[in-house]
Amino acid sequence: MSDPHDLPKEVFLDEVHSFEFWFQAVAGYLTERPNGHDPSIEEADLNSSEREALITTLCNYAIGETAALEASSGMIRFAPNRRAKIFLATQVVDEARHLEVLLYRLSELGVTHLEEVVQSRANRSLLAFRKRLLQFVDGHDWEAALFAQNVILESMEFSVFQAHVERADPITGDMLTGIIKDERRHMGFGENELGRRLAETPHIRARLQAVKKELDPLVLDTFEDTLEQVGVERSERPELGRSYLASVERLGFAL
Amino acid sequence: MSGFLSAYSIQNWLESCPQGYLEDTQYGHAPGQTEPALVLDNPTLLADTIRTTVQLVVGERCALAASSGLINAAPDHASKAFLATQTLDEARHVEIFTQRLYDLGVKKSELESTLAEHANPNLVKFAEVLLEKVDKGDFIAGVVGQNIVLEGMAFSVFEMLQAAVSGVNPKFANTLSGTIADERRHVGFGENRIGSLIKQHPERKADVEKMQKEMAYHMLATFSTQFAQSGSAMQEGQRMAQAAEGNGAEAPAKWHGADLATATPEEMEGVLSDTVLKEFKVRLGRIGIEYQTPAAP
Repeated sequence: MSDPHDLPKEVFLDEVHSFEFWFQAVAGYLTERPNGHDPSIEEADLNSSEREALITTLCNYAIGETAALEASSGMIRFAPNRRAKIFLATQVVDEARHLEVLLYRLSELGVTHLEEVVQSRANRSLLAFRKRLLQFVDGHDWEAALFAQNVILESMEFSVFQAHVERADPITGDMLTGIIKDERRHMGFGENELGRRLAETPHIRARLQAVKKELDPLVLDTFEDTLEQVGVERSERPELGRSYLASVERLGFAL
Repeated sequence: MSGFLSAYSIQNWLESCPQGYLEDTQYGHAPGQTEPALVLDNPTLLADTIRTTVQLVVGERCALAASSGLINAAPDHASKAFLATQTLDEARHVEIFTQRLYDLGVKKSELESTLAEHANPNLVKFAEVLLEKVDKGDFIAGVVGQNIVLEGMAFSVFEMLQAAVSGVNPKFANTLSGTIADERRHVGFGENRIGSLIKQHPERKADVEKMQKEMAYHMLATFSTQFAQSGSAMQEGQRMAQAAEGNGAEAPAKWHGADLATATPEEMEGVLSDTVLKEFKVRLGRIGIEYQTPAAP
């Protein structure tokens, strides 16, 4: 595929939001990672507390990915144009794939009754975030839903997964590396779509500020909990929290 | 995950669909394939082909809205995962049939007005009945409406179209073969998943049967108006196919007993309606729903 950035703007948007582009983007690393990770990587020797912490962490990732799956699928109906609908359809499969590989990883760690275990270990702030996100979706509030989903949630996952990869066992690290590649694409869509809307209708900035103010405590609380499970030292956590805020800011939403 | 649902995982979908029968395709067909000159150069055939393709886009847009809308209502992760793959399948179908409209000469700036002009009002009503159930988060009715009724209809329509164009339009025939493979998987999920839910919730049968009857009515009305509009184009297509056959092209096939080289629009409408309704009866019977005969449109 030639560099899509060489294309005229409208053709570029058609191209990067298409099924064809998605397929070209994901085909390589999906082929190399059946069930989400390289099958040749051997399981690390985790002690009981490490294993329990990893299970709790992965359960919360599964909650986050379920929220993303439910939100992105619900947004297709009221997405403002065909290319946004088709991009969201590719995101739906990405999120479902993430959920599937996380559940597979949990089963590799010996977890049975996956649905019950995931629910029982869910972080309350993350559940509250999910509830609020789905309210935006149910209200067909395109800007708020896209902001909460493709900017805030994706940035949170991106920052947490990156921190986790540095400390993860080899299999979990390989799986998260694949997921991170998708999150970048999703954040790019949110940035592009909302960036254009902010340029055309600057008054929505105030609304998004209010959404961010409401969701930030839930995100930061989830962050704190997850980073503790992942083994990030307490002294490093504020820095990673700032990293999340900075990644939102880089997307143009310092607000 | 119960046994049968594991067959509908994203892993299986990746291996069978994008890494399987869609590998090396572009918009569902081999790179470089084009619409044949006999369609592009004949105003009657071109107009009818655009009108038919519009119905495919309208149907697939409905399927995209329905499959994505049902994810939140799905009762388990495995069903959500399958519906996610179906969502992307339907989005791909929207994309490839929209691309076909562009290949037929519809300008991008005129896409929505072309759809609005040619969308069959009965097909729009058919979609509205289904999407009302989806909007209510009614998973059982939604999956029956989407994966049995809509997909069952699409499956037969695609097969008929593929039989009609196989000798004269390899590009469109290829596009259809991928969508037929997708629809087969969707129908399979509907039968497998809903059968067990209907057993658990027999009180839902009456409502689902009412929806099926209503959707079947709008479907038959769609067929009726589409074939009524396509008379001259069908005759033109048959005449040109016979001429092409004389020049060595493959003869038009038979489909469910109908000779596509000579069948009238009325005959084709009858064969298509009978085929779809028979399929409905069989598939609905498998999930414990009694087929309801719709009024004649």
